[in-house]
Amino acid sequence: MNKNFISLAVISTLLASASAAIAAPDWSKVPKKDILLFHPGVTPIEWATKKAEHSGSTAIKKGETCAGCHDEKGKLSLDFKRLAGKELEPKGAPKTLSFPVGVQAAYDATSLYLRLTFKSPDGGADPADKENEVKANVMFANDKVPQGDLVGCWATCHQDARTMPGADDKKLKYVKDGAYDLMQWKSAKGAKAADGTVTDKRAMDGGKADARAEGSKSGDTYTVTFTRKLAGGVAMGEGKAIPFGIAIHADHATGRFHHVSFGYKLGIGSEGDVKAIRF
Amino acid sequence: MSSSNNNGIWARLRKPSAKYSLLTLLAVGFVSGIVFWGSFNTAMEATNTLEFCISCHEMRDNVYQEYKQTIHYSNRTGVRAICSDCHVPKDWVHKMARKIQASQEIYGKIVGTIDTPEKFEARRLELAEHEWARMKASDSRECRNCHSFEGMDIEKQKTRASKMHKIAQDDKQTCIDCHKGIAHHKPKGMKEEEDE
Repeated sequence: MNKNFISLAVISTLLASASAAIAAPDWSKVPKKDILLFHPGVTPIEWATKKAEHSGSTAIKKGETCAGCHDEKGKLSLDFKRLAGKELEPKGAPKTLSFPVGVQAAYDATSLYLRLTFKSPDGGADPADKENEVKANVMFANDKVPQGDLVGCWATCHQDARTMPGADDKKLKYVKDGAYDLMQWKSAKGAKAADGTVTDKRAMDGGKADARAEGSKSGDTYTVTFTRKLAGGVAMGEGKAIPFGIAIHADHATGRFHHVSFGYKLGIGSEGDVKAIRF
Repeated sequence: MSSSNNNGIWARLRKPSAKYSLLTLLAVGFVSGIVFWGSFNTAMEATNTLEFCISCHEMRDNVYQEYKQTIHYSNRTGVRAICSDCHVPKDWVHKMARKIQASQEIYGKIVGTIDTPEKFEARRLELAEHEWARMKASDSRECRNCHSFEGMDIEKQKTRASKMHKIAQDDKQTCIDCHKGIAHHKPKGMKEEEDE
């Protein structure tokens, strides 16, 4: 009887610790917010802050967020003709300029859980990544990034980064001040999820957030779930609102050919464009 | 050197009329004045028509083609702004000044300063900067012939438009500060303003 009791205790402990390791919220109870991604063309931060190119730079100087002007009640208010034109997209625009991603967020005492649900469009302009049909990325900005709460990921997007016209192929994206946490899921079988950072250059590992990702495809819909520690890297305490952005590399895209979101705020149990609920 | 020739033209003009009454002279003069002024104005307004402007290939093949792709040429309500609506002041004093200034373009036409696409592109920035400076100095007077902040229905504007117009009013900006390139292609090499 003792042996049985011990086995039972061992098995329960194993089960408990296993389920704690993959603890997940009941996603059907987590509210979903649709965020629209769009093809950004060649619009690095240098472009976005130059009045001659983008008159909205005046609004940024005054503390307006990108989404504040360009996200009008959940619809994107953008000059898509200009974005897809030769001047802003010299290589060629993808067939689908914009598509929605459903975002759900939840957190517990130690971790953040972020789920993305989306249909990834075909017809990409530059299918250079033969291994991965889709990559899903989320970046969080720390509070040292200049205007990080306004521009989302754009502080890492520079005109001299790889895949930009005329840029050095080896120059990765970077940020001049502050740092971002980067999480990436790749669709290739067995691909390792990235727990990385962007500082003076982008690194796909060495992140402090212990970020993990799991993804699957059902029909034509992808579901990607990220988990990360609240405390690692960009600090995410309860009550804080963290600037974040989403990017999906659809149809084997790489580099700048991702569809991206504007910068939004993730509220950890607080106000934000996406609110993470405690479970 | 005064001519004492009683039949000279100047002598004849100075002599009082023997045949016609003062009323006749005044009435004829008045009506002639109207006819003359009308003719002068008609001739001058003819130089404000779209057809006149694009009779020069420099305009027809460059900026006119660009303008045809814009909202000032074709829009939902069919209200069209032609060249003179933006480039020629409507009030008489400023209009006269502009017309006299524009006569130097005849020289440019004769010597062909911008008579090929390459020459035009080489001077596009300079030409644009002249117009932007003129519009800025007049507080976008020609834009305000039709548009005004007071006339804007904020509810009908896109968010990014209404937000930018509020900033413009707060910062006492003028239309041309942001709306460069509204009718013609923006030139390369535009200077970034140091002061707003």
